[in-house]
Amino acid sequence: MLVLTRKLGESIAIDDHIKIRIIRIKGKQVRLGIEAPKDTKIHREEVYLAIQDQNQQSATVTSDKIPLCCSPIKAINLT
Amino acid sequence: MVIQTSRFGSVNLKPEDILTFAEGLLGFTDLREFVLLDDPNDEIFAWLQSCESPAIAFPVLEPELFTENFKINLTKTDLVSLKLQSQDKARFSKNIQQIPDDPTLMTANMKAPVVVNIDARIARQCVLQQWLGNSGTNFCKASATGGSKSDRRDKESSPGFRCCYQIAPAA
Repeated sequence: MLVLTRKLGESIAIDDHIKIRIIRIKGKQVRLGIEAPKDTKIHREEVYLAIQDQNQQSATVTSDKIPLCCSPIKAINLT
Repeated sequence: MVIQTSRFGSVNLKPEDILTFAEGLLGFTDLREFVLLDDPNDEIFAWLQSCESPAIAFPVLEPELFTENFKINLTKTDLVSLKLQSQDKARFSKNIQQIPDDPTLMTANMKAPVVVNIDARIARQCVLQQWLGNSGTNFCKASATGGSKSDRRDKESSPGFRCCYQIAPAA
């Protein structure tokens, strides 16, 4: 991991098109401004961790649960 | 070829039915080969079964079944990694997060659908940039209160995606 120290208002440039700037520091919170091409995916890390979690829970579902799910779904389709 | 599955026993496959996930799935990055199996008891659910790990399978649904306006935008990176020229040739499915004892509480992962390039047999779990609500969405409640109607996807209309195999009984 590359570790850099920045002061308020200073920036970091990544590749040619990504910039991260320290916008505000208040107590324990740091507000970051991120400039990046429209196509770039930017997420709080918790999002990826949450999806990982959900995948892991989903992998434990057993096939006997499936018949129970049919009627609620069919009910949606019929309304 | 035959793969072992913990839920369905032995399953016969042709090599061209295998979907390759170049990056695996989030949380399962070392599993690269999966196959879509129809659930024998049900027309709506399918299972994304790992060919490498018998116990790992994810119940999946096509989002059109319960979301009327399913529009997502794949980024260029997504399209390139799927070797797709445009989004039209893709197919989407969602993971079901969990099916608790009350089936109306089941949730689907709207934030990171599995996207498949049917022709090339490659797939990827794409984390969507746009906000589609929580990543675990209870679609039963959402659809019921929203009153949206979805046309049932005709099973015959997309044979390459929906129905890979009838699950053969264990030998």
